[in-house]
Amino acid sequence: MSSQLTTSNSTQPEHAATSSQSSSLSNAQALASSSIAATSTQAVATPDKASSSLDLDSLEQRLRETKAIGVFTKLSLKNQVDDLLSDFRTYYGGKSKLVLSDLRQRYDLLLMKILSLLQDSDTTLAADIRSSREAIWDILRDPKKFAEIS
Amino acid sequence: MNKYITLLSTMAVITFQAGAVLAADDAFAKDLKATIALQGMPCSDVADSKRNGDSDYNVSCKDGNRYHVFVNDKGRVIVQKL
Repeated sequence: MSSQLTTSNSTQPEHAATSSQSSSLSNAQALASSSIAATSTQAVATPDKASSSLDLDSLEQRLRETKAIGVFTKLSLKNQVDDLLSDFRTYYGGKSKLVLSDLRQRYDLLLMKILSLLQDSDTTLAADIRSSREAIWDILRDPKKFAEIS
Repeated sequence: MNKYITLLSTMAVITFQAGAVLAADDAFAKDLKATIALQGMPCSDVADSKRNGDSDYNVSCKDGNRYHVFVNDKGRVIVQKL
């Protein structure tokens, strides 16, 4: 699901002034700018009461464009979002030893990482993500909603 | 008079460009530090980074830790202690 997000990315690398760095990371930026917002974009696909507290399209775009998170960091976060979504698929497939509380813990930890990266440099986005925490979780924890988005 | 103006203008441009480069380096150092931290590894601050290739860096931290930070062919960020 996150892969579909990688097709359009107009975000410029934060470190554009150092050409060797920015050019070498352009692909990473394209990947990274997508999946941090993967869960939120999936929420867009299934409008819901829980997600009504936030404009998730806007959230995704702002995550793509924020300069508070560097390219490598965005890609690292994307990896972790993908891992979490994979864990959910395994869980709903009945092949996981994890229970829902374990997944909630991982979800909370991942959001904390994102918030810690944003809270000093992009406080508005951090606040909006914080306020969307439960809306996104409501989608992830519902197998039907999750199946629709994955 | 014109010479002084030209000199001052040149100095201002150089200062501005140097500042921009330093700011970019600082941002990149923070990016690498955050990336290392996200992998659960210690790095007090990035002291130096050397580019090995596309999305491939050797990073030296002020606390003495050194890492190989790169993106593998599966698109994963890998941080290996050196």
